[in-house]
Amino acid sequence: MNALAALGEALVLIGTFFYFLSALGLIRMPDVYNRMQTSTKSATLGSLGVLVGTGLWAVGDGLSWAWFVKATVIAVFLLLTNPISAHALIRAAYKSGIPLWQGSVVDKYREHIEAKASPGAAESESTEEGGEE
Amino acid sequence: MVSLLKRSLAIISILIIGYWLAQGLAGVPFGQDKMLVGHYYLQHVKEQTGAVNAVTAIVVNYRGFDTLGEVTVLFIASTGVGALLWRKKRERTAKTEGSVVLTTGVELLFPFIVMFGSYIFIHGHLTPGGGFPGGATIATAFLLLYMAFISYEIPHRLFENLEGIAGMSYVLVGLIGLAIGGYFLFDWIWQTWHWGTSNLGRLFSGGFIPVIYTIIGIKVGTELSGIVDNMLKEEVGE
Repeated sequence: MNALAALGEALVLIGTFFYFLSALGLIRMPDVYNRMQTSTKSATLGSLGVLVGTGLWAVGDGLSWAWFVKATVIAVFLLLTNPISAHALIRAAYKSGIPLWQGSVVDKYREHIEAKASPGAAESESTEEGGEE
Repeated sequence: MVSLLKRSLAIISILIIGYWLAQGLAGVPFGQDKMLVGHYYLQHVKEQTGAVNAVTAIVVNYRGFDTLGEVTVLFIASTGVGALLWRKKRERTAKTEGSVVLTTGVELLFPFIVMFGSYIFIHGHLTPGGGFPGGATIATAFLLLYMAFISYEIPHRLFENLEGIAGMSYVLVGLIGLAIGGYFLFDWIWQTWHWGTSNLGRLFSGGFIPVIYTIIGIKVGTELSGIVDNMLKEEVGE
């Protein structure tokens, strides 16, 4: 049982480390899109580590498996919802005209929108996958 | 520079009020056992109400009038929003549909959120939560549907009827208590029928707390969804 507790503690440590990286990325990254990228990815992973880790830790300390089940349910919920919310936020940021970082070199989405706005004008960018827009 | 004067005056007065409140709180002994009524609740909550969660027992059972008042406040808020925003012809005026990721995610999540909200209000006597958080969670699910789809609307007829029926059944449960036990909101399921007395700490216990919390959950969920529906509509000229 103590192996489970040790595994849980290690997972919580890894999770908090990713939380720290996520906060660091929020400070260090230049624009909204990069910040969202770093913060959501590592925060999701950190939450998974912390939640599953606390579940295992509790079981290893002699509490019931209900802890692990509940923590896993919350982890799965976060895993499913966090990317959707990040997607919605980034899409809303792009739609409201927040510019990319000046170091960015390519903006295929704008080309896609422009190609759709004036068909025939830009055949060269017709290689994108057909998103909804 | 008037705004600067205004702002500094506001900050100074807020600081004075805060200092005054802190002085008042400094006399309150935190961490000491000063409970008078609290002891009674904690010692008698199990055999008197059957609820493991003392908070819901107090809120629904010992002081059920307050909860009835809160439900009334919510009902008045919902009615008030409906009355303020009343127009002959109103429609949703959302311009852009959510992306495919969002709509699919909402479609997948909606039943789970409703299920979780129901879980919260059904287990009000066992776990933290109760009717109000459960109902708010269910309303969140409908808010998600409103946010993701352009022309989604709640089933109005069903929701308004459910809201009214739920409110009436709360009062009805209290009136049955009045008829059986002699006072309004008397817990007849527990005190008179002794139903679930051997089942303490499990789902089928807790007297009428689960019944009332189911009613409150349905009422709060439909009410908040109705408020969201009212606020997201705009008048269409015609």
